[in-house]
Amino acid sequence: MSTPNRSFLAQNPSVLWFLGFLGLFTLLVTVFSEATGTGVISTSFVKTLGKILCLCLIAIAMDVVWGYCGILSLGHFAFFGIGGYAIGMWLMYARTEGIVADSLAAQAIPPTASELSDAVASQIFGVVGASEFPPIWAFAHSLPLQLLMVVLVPGLLALVFGWLAFRSRVTGVYLSILTQAMTLALSLWLFQNDSGLRGNNGLSGLQNIPGFEETPQALISIWFFWASAAALGLGYVLFAWVVSGKMGSVIRAIRDDEARVRFLGYHVESYKLFVFTLTAIVAGIAGALYYPQAGIINPAEIAPIASIYLAVWVAIGGRGRLYGAVLGTVFVTLASSWFTGGSAPDVNLGVYTIKWTDWWLVLLGVSFVAVTLFAPQGLGGLVDKLRRKA
Amino acid sequence: MLRVLLTALALLWLPLASLAQDLQSILQEHQAEVAKPSRSSVGPVLEALTASGLPGVPAFLNNWQDKNVHVREEDGLFFLVEETGDTVTLLDIATAEPVAEGVDPGTLDQIRPNGGVRRAISEALVQFQLSDPDITRRMEALDAISRNLDPDQLGPLQGSIANEPDPALKLRKQRLANYLIARFGETRDDRIEAIDALSDDLSVDGRAVLSQILTTRTEMAQEIPQDVNLARILDLPREEAYAMIAAQADLPPLLDENALRSTLEPHVENGRVGGIPVGQLATTEARLMAYDALAAQGTLPPRALPRQIDETLANWTIYEAYDEPETAITDAALAAQKGVQTRVAASQFADISLDALSLASIYFLAAIGLAITFGVMGVINMAHGEFIMMGAYTGYVVQQFVPNYTASLIVALPLAFLITFAAGVAMERLVIRWLYNRPLETLLATFGISIALQQLAKNIFGTQARPLTSPGWLDGAWQINDVISISYIRIAIFVLALLFLGLLLFILKKTRLGLEVRAVTQNPRMAASMGINPDKIKMMTFGLGSGIAGIAGVAIGLYAKVTSEMGADYIVQSFMTVVVGGVGNVWGTLAGAGLIGILQKGIEWFNPSNTLAAQTYMILFIILFIQFRPKGIVALKGRAAGD
Repeated sequence: MSTPNRSFLAQNPSVLWFLGFLGLFTLLVTVFSEATGTGVISTSFVKTLGKILCLCLIAIAMDVVWGYCGILSLGHFAFFGIGGYAIGMWLMYARTEGIVADSLAAQAIPPTASELSDAVASQIFGVVGASEFPPIWAFAHSLPLQLLMVVLVPGLLALVFGWLAFRSRVTGVYLSILTQAMTLALSLWLFQNDSGLRGNNGLSGLQNIPGFEETPQALISIWFFWASAAALGLGYVLFAWVVSGKMGSVIRAIRDDEARVRFLGYHVESYKLFVFTLTAIVAGIAGALYYPQAGIINPAEIAPIASIYLAVWVAIGGRGRLYGAVLGTVFVTLASSWFTGGSAPDVNLGVYTIKWTDWWLVLLGVSFVAVTLFAPQGLGGLVDKLRRKA
Repeated sequence: MLRVLLTALALLWLPLASLAQDLQSILQEHQAEVAKPSRSSVGPVLEALTASGLPGVPAFLNNWQDKNVHVREEDGLFFLVEETGDTVTLLDIATAEPVAEGVDPGTLDQIRPNGGVRRAISEALVQFQLSDPDITRRMEALDAISRNLDPDQLGPLQGSIANEPDPALKLRKQRLANYLIARFGETRDDRIEAIDALSDDLSVDGRAVLSQILTTRTEMAQEIPQDVNLARILDLPREEAYAMIAAQADLPPLLDENALRSTLEPHVENGRVGGIPVGQLATTEARLMAYDALAAQGTLPPRALPRQIDETLANWTIYEAYDEPETAITDAALAAQKGVQTRVAASQFADISLDALSLASIYFLAAIGLAITFGVMGVINMAHGEFIMMGAYTGYVVQQFVPNYTASLIVALPLAFLITFAAGVAMERLVIRWLYNRPLETLLATFGISIALQQLAKNIFGTQARPLTSPGWLDGAWQINDVISISYIRIAIFVLALLFLGLLLFILKKTRLGLEVRAVTQNPRMAASMGINPDKIKMMTFGLGSGIAGIAGVAIGLYAKVTSEMGADYIVQSFMTVVVGGVGNVWGTLAGAGLIGILQKGIEWFNPSNTLAAQTYMILFIILFIQFRPKGIVALKGRAAGD
């Protein structure tokens, strides 16, 4: 361990590097975006970049829980989705309320509070054949309360789930499967029409921010981009701080040999629970920033496969180093949109033409196996190698 | 001798007697009613015809009904007619033999019975159909009767029971007659007896008869009349009850928010309603005040005040009364219904148990391969579901080349085993072998293989579902009673699961390979020092586990559609089966599959409309279950467990 009198940033030069890169990137995007600059970067691409920043945030959370603490959670995308749903409820409620209030204002007699809320409810839940607000929408009218939900619901769920699982010493692949089961249960529950969250329709129209109806999407997208960049920067610093110092050493020791750490007198369960819950909360925040940029959230987003892809990003980027998670996420999501977007050139083999839209997943799967087998350090390992040579 | 002669004479006379009373002569007796039939006069004709028992009567009735019968104007005789160019050929009414050719159509009148008469004729026809020699005609007649129970059918139906040769149809006729008596019987005792007989009838028709007897109507009164066969007194919510009474008894109506607003809207004057500014009308209280102000002016009728509502509700009773006036009959029907419901519930329980058993055997088949590999190597194979898919596609491809479904199944099962065995061994050699010390990474690497295989299948076979058709002898279902039934495919899968259970137990307990597999499962290092080659054993086990997945794929493909994503549907359930059951143990997997199958069906039983909720609750249960038995139902003991 490093000497205690050195400052946190001096111990972690990568944090400064990362913040510098992030700041530069944000500045560049701002300069080239439609709203604040030359318009080289389209609004939809600003949104894509903002979404990737949010995915980077959940990826570093995943890196902390898996790469540093050794818990392969296949449930963090569920927390991400819960965050998205929590903010989506307010966005949808407030926006629908505005529209309904406008349409009712034309009537001779002003509507009562209950008339208004009934009209809003039937507007929102008409698609699933309901016309009343389910109890979980009790706070949807208030932005501060719903923002609290973004943090509280994933946090509490992770706390309870983690407490149950770690207490009975469920570890390794068992824990992975258990978290996967939790994710599956959540997405199946959300798929029901009577879950109170509009079944498989999900929540939509989230890109329209209530109170900013007149503001062009170009401006809103750059705001969300800034917010995502700020959240990623803060999250990076937070996690860099968590995994450095004495606590960081204990967390890494748990990954390497849990029993030995326990015998040394540390309360392993508390550390794991702390890491699990903290990363779940950050995942929730990332989701709350992501879905207003995506515009729609539905239960398919929470399916177990999404959480596995999250693990894939982190693994390809290189576990156990925060910038690795960011690298992997950026690399895989950009490559994925390049290959599936149809911009990758088809390979004509004479007898058969490889269309990348069809073969991208095969390539991803195979390269993932290759990375696991031959480069367990991922892309981050390459960076380390370069640095050691320099 | 004399007796013999007399008998012979009598026998000779018999056909002559019936000849004397032929169809034409009966019709001539009722000439006017046949030629110009009406609903009121047709009855005696039909009776006479049916009483005659002549073989040509049903055919005649059909022709009569279909307006094929003509009457010759000169002598009033009836004929069938066949058109031959400008002229017609007359056919005999009973035998349809040609009687006269080249007849001018102008000398004939067509008989056109009206709708009422045709209905009467078809009712008379039913009893002939009920005794028709062709069994399908008899069945059709019974179907027609049971579609629409009609008291008039009872007589003919009962008449046909005695001579019914087919025992199953006879039973059905008796049942149907019983339904008719239960609903329309002459005397009360007849009906009660018939209703009592319905208490062990689980069929939908029988249950429908009981509920038809027990139909109710909702009424309200201040004093319930004595002659009403009361079913129950309703306890409705306050507003609903008052609204119903108010509609009938002409009381001031209850104003809900919508009605209140729409009533007030036309009375906005100078931005005020009843003196209250419109801007203040955003609460119900303000609106009621405005309404009362308008009512005081006489513009609107007074509204129902809470006190009036209370009084009204205290005075009036809303109740349901049976349409059937006899209490004894409704009581009997209620008792019978209760008996039926108990039996139906018991049968449904048995049905659900069978479903659960078959679901459990599917889970067992899907999970057992996973359990073996997981147990021996501590490795989770995320591509297990894709091996299931490969097996199913193997079955599909074999069917493209072998058209006989039975033969193709016989080819497909071992072929699927071989292909997935080879794929498993290849995967073990190429990937998994290098990751034995890193179980979490195996999970992810096999996941990579899984998405690659899935997409590969999509590229080869397309995204649409491919059929894997089961042979004809697996079609249909074994119907135990009206409620309990199980399809033969599910039985076959159950048998297959049993076979595999036996086979695996045999391999693991009785063969050298099994011994070595068990040794490696329990302690790989110790096994290695005893001269077992763990590398080879692991390869073989992985191949075996994958091969079983392939066979499971063929079985699952038979009753579900074959798609590239079918494996993913089973993978999480398979994991949970393994984890719940306990690792590395055939019995554990069996217990896990049984628990999950029973649980899922059990939860569905409580809430049958919602399979998603059932799955959600099941997963939650499993998460909790793992808390209490982290090593599963059947846990390995000793050194093996201490990892």
